Amino acid sequence: MCDYALQGALRKGAQHARVAAISNTANELSVLNDSIETIQKAVDSSLMIHLFVDGRYGTCSTNKADPAGIDKLLDDAVASVRLLAPDPFRILVPGELRYEGDPLYSAHRGSVDTGVKKAFLSGCAASVWGKDPALISVTAGYSDYRRWLHLADTDGLNCTSEETWYSLSVECAVRGRGDARPSDWDYLGGIKPENIGIGKETPCTCAATALERALSKRNPGKIASGRYPVIVENRVAATLLAPLIEAMSGSSLQQQNSFLLDKLGKSIASPALTLIDNPHRKGSPGYRFFDNEGLRTAKRTVIESGRLNTFFLSTYYALKMQMPPTISSPSLLFLKGGKGSAATIAGSMKNGIFVTGFNGGNCNTATGDFSYGIEGYKVENGQITYPVNEMVMTGNMLDLWNRLLAAGDDALTTMSWQIPSLLFDNIEFAGL
Amino acid sequence: MDLTTATDMDSYKLLNLALRKGGDYADLYFEQTTFHSIVLRDGEVNAASTHNEGGLGIRVVSGQNTGYAYTESSLPRDREEAARTASHIAQGLIRTSQPAAIATLNLPDRYRIVKPWEEFSPQEKMPFLYDLNDRIFSADKRVKKVTAQLSDSTSQIEIYNSLGIHCADIRPMASLSVSCVMESGGQRESASSSRSFRMGGEFLTPGLIEELAREIIDRTSFLFGAKQPNGGEMPVVMAAGGSGILLHEAIGHAFEADFARKKVSIFSDMMGKRVCSPGITVIDDGTIAGNRGSLNVDDEGVPGQKTYMVTDGILTSFLHDRISARYFQAEPTGNGRRESFRYMPLPRMRATYMDNGPDTEEALIASVKKGLYVDTFSNGQVQIGAGDFTFYVKSGYLIENGKLTQPIKDTNIIGNGPEALARITGVANNCAIDNGTWTCGKEQSCAVSCGMPSVLVSSLTVGGRV
Repeated sequence: MCDYALQGALRKGAQHARVAAISNTANELSVLNDSIETIQKAVDSSLMIHLFVDGRYGTCSTNKADPAGIDKLLDDAVASVRLLAPDPFRILVPGELRYEGDPLYSAHRGSVDTGVKKAFLSGCAASVWGKDPALISVTAGYSDYRRWLHLADTDGLNCTSEETWYSLSVECAVRGRGDARPSDWDYLGGIKPENIGIGKETPCTCAATALERALSKRNPGKIASGRYPVIVENRVAATLLAPLIEAMSGSSLQQQNSFLLDKLGKSIASPALTLIDNPHRKGSPGYRFFDNEGLRTAKRTVIESGRLNTFFLSTYYALKMQMPPTISSPSLLFLKGGKGSAATIAGSMKNGIFVTGFNGGNCNTATGDFSYGIEGYKVENGQITYPVNEMVMTGNMLDLWNRLLAAGDDALTTMSWQIPSLLFDNIEFAGL
Repeated sequence: MDLTTATDMDSYKLLNLALRKGGDYADLYFEQTTFHSIVLRDGEVNAASTHNEGGLGIRVVSGQNTGYAYTESSLPRDREEAARTASHIAQGLIRTSQPAAIATLNLPDRYRIVKPWEEFSPQEKMPFLYDLNDRIFSADKRVKKVTAQLSDSTSQIEIYNSLGIHCADIRPMASLSVSCVMESGGQRESASSSRSFRMGGEFLTPGLIEELAREIIDRTSFLFGAKQPNGGEMPVVMAAGGSGILLHEAIGHAFEADFARKKVSIFSDMMGKRVCSPGITVIDDGTIAGNRGSLNVDDEGVPGQKTYMVTDGILTSFLHDRISARYFQAEPTGNGRRESFRYMPLPRMRATYMDNGPDTEEALIASVKKGLYVDTFSNGQVQIGAGDFTFYVKSGYLIENGKLTQPIKDTNIIGNGPEALARITGVANNCAIDNGTWTCGKEQSCAVSCGMPSVLVSSLTVGGRV
C-alpha cells in the first residue's frame, strides 16, 4: 500500500510524496485487588501521506488503506493542497541526510499467553493485597505492543522499524488522614517479557515498592515558604528538563517563542549539566535509526558542561532558520550522572526538600518562567523525613539549571529520558 | 469502514457472541470520523491535513470488570473475533444475559449542523485565518509572530447494546486557536487564545475573528507589565469563566464515579454530606446547545443530561458510567465517554460549572486586603486520593487593600479539594462558560468545557517569589 500511495500521489499531480505506514497490535490487562478488572486488545493500522504539490504542502491519512479509499483520499487531498499558499521550505529529506540502512529490529519474537499474563498480574497484586490494614486498593496493569513502521518517499527513502514493549505498572492507594487516600506507583518496562519479570523465579517487587511509597506519604504537611536546596527524584526529573527541550525545538525557535533563541554555543546551565542524545543504544526506549521524516539519527552532545551545543531542527525549520538540520526531536536522552542515589545525595543536605512528584504547573516557553506544584519529603540533617505536599516550586529555567549542583547515578533505564536524581541549590518554594 | 454494513441483525449477532461466556452487559460502538486542519504560519496558510478513520469497539461488562476489543475492519469475521476477545472477561460457560430486542432512541439535537464541514473547502476557510493574522499585526507594532490553526471534525457514531438500545448521533467539533509573540525592548512575551464549539462551518464568522484578535492582543500585551507574584498562602478571587478549571480539578475528577467505586477518591465516602458552603451548586452539563462538552447521547447510549453534583453545598451525585451506576444502584448520568472507538468508556466530565451566587465581583475584590485576582489559565491537574489540585495562571493582578494593582503572570496555584471547597466564601452573580479548546486527559482525551461565576477562595497556596 505504501508503494501504491506514493505512485498514486504522483499520478494525481504531486511532484513528491512521503508515506508513513504503521501497524500496531496491543494488549492490556489489569487486576484490581484480587480479580481481573479489564482485558483489552487492539489491532490497528494507519497510512499517512505527505504531499508536495506545485510547491505546496499538505497531509492526508486514514486507517482504511485499500486502493479505492487511498485514491479518493488522494483526489481530495491534492485538490485541497493546490488551494494553499506555496511553502518553499517543505522538502523531502536530502539523500545525504536520510537513513539508508538495515531495518531496525528491537522486538521480542514471541508473545505471552493470556493465562500467563493473568497469573503474573494476579501474583503481583496478591503480593500486597490484604497484607496491610491501611491498603485500600492495588491496581496492577500489564501492557504490551508490537509496532511496525515503514517510511518511504519518492526520492528513495525506505526505512523500516519493528519494536515491542512490555510494561508493568502497579499503583497502591492507602488510608491517610481523614478522607485522604494517598497513592503511589512503581513501573517496569522493556522489549521482552522477562524485562518485567514474566518467566522469572524472583517475585516482582513493584507492588511492595508502590505500597511502601504510598504508606510513607501519609500525614503530609506544608512547610514554611522559602529558598531550599532540592533533590528531584529520578522518576520525575524529566519534568524540569522538558521546557529546555521544548525551547530547543525548531517550532519554538522559528516562531521566536523560546528562551534559548540566542543561546546556541553559550552557557545556559551549570557545568554539572551534560546531556547526550544517544539513539543507538539497543534495547532502550527511544532506540531509533531515523526520525519521522527519515532524517538519520546520530549521537549528539546536546549540552556539554552547561554549554548549549545543538537545537532540534527538522528540515523544515532548519531551512526557515537558515541552519543545517539536525533531528526533529531527541531520541534517547542521558543526563551524565555523578554518584549516588537520592538518599545518598540527601546525606549532605542539612535542610532541604526531596521532590518525588509534580502536580500540574507549566513553563512559559518565551521567558523560561515556571511554576510547578510538588509533593515530596523534608530532608533534615541528611535524613529524608516526613512527607510534604501542597507546595509550589517557582522560578526561571535558566536560573534553575545554573543552580544544578550534582547529579546521581540512578537514572531509570525504562524511560527514553534517562535522568538521574538531581540536586539544585536554593530554589524558591511557596508553602506556609 | 461503512457503518451501514452493520444491520440490526448483524449487531444482535455480535452482541450475542460477546455475551457467549456470560456477562451482564455488552455494547457495540461504531464510529466514522473525518478531521480537517489548516494552519497559518508566517503570514501564509501553507499547511493542511485531512484524516479519516473508522472502527468498531466491542465491550462486555461482567460485574465491575470489562473486556474490550476493537477492529477497523468491516469484515464479519474480524468483528466476530473482536466480540470473542471481549467475551473473555466473563468466566462462565453458561450465558447469563441475552441481548434484548433492539429499539431506537429518539435524541434531541443540541448541535444541529447548518453548513457541513465536508462542504467547506480550504479556499473558503483561508480568508478567515488571513483576516485574523492581519487584524493582529495591524493592532500592535510589537507583534512578531502569529500562528493560527482551524480544526474541524465530524463523527458519525452508532451504538447498540444488550439492553436493546440503539441510537445514532452526528457530532461536529470546530476549533480555532491562535498564538502570538510580541517583542518590546528585547523582552519577548507570548500568549494564546481559542474558541471551540460543536458546530459546522457556521462557526466561522467575522465576529469570531474580531473577538479572538482583540483577545490575543490584550492577553499578550498585558504580559509585558506583569511579574510572577510573591508566593504563599493568600485569598484568591477567581474571575468568571475559565476559573471553572477549579471545579474541574478540585471537584470534577474526584466525583467521577469509577474513582469512588474503587474507593480511591478523597470524596469516596462523602455522598450526601456537606462539601461546600450552603448556596453553592455545581453542575456537570451535557445539554448546552453547541457547547464543546455537550452530548445528545453519551458513548454508552445514555441520553445527554444535566447532573447536579453539588446542590446547596451537599454532594448529591457522582458522575456515572453504566458500571458505576449499577454498583451504586443509581441511574446512569450520561457521563460514559470515550476518545474514540479505540477506547472503552469511562466516567468523564462535560461542561462543568457553578450556579450564580448573590455577590458581585467588585464586592469580592473589595473584601480582600492582600491577595490575588486570576483570570486566564492554561492547564490543571489533580491527585484524586490526596485531593491536591493545581491550576496554572497565565494572567491576573495582585489585590491590595481591595483594589487590583500589579499585573501578575506564570504562577501555579495549589490547594486541597475538600479544603478549597469549604473555603469558597463568596460567589458572584456573573457565571460565564469558557469556550476555549479545553481537553481533559484521563488515560484518553475528551473535549470538555468549564465555567464559573467569580468566586473568592479564602486561602490557596500561590507559587511565586519568596
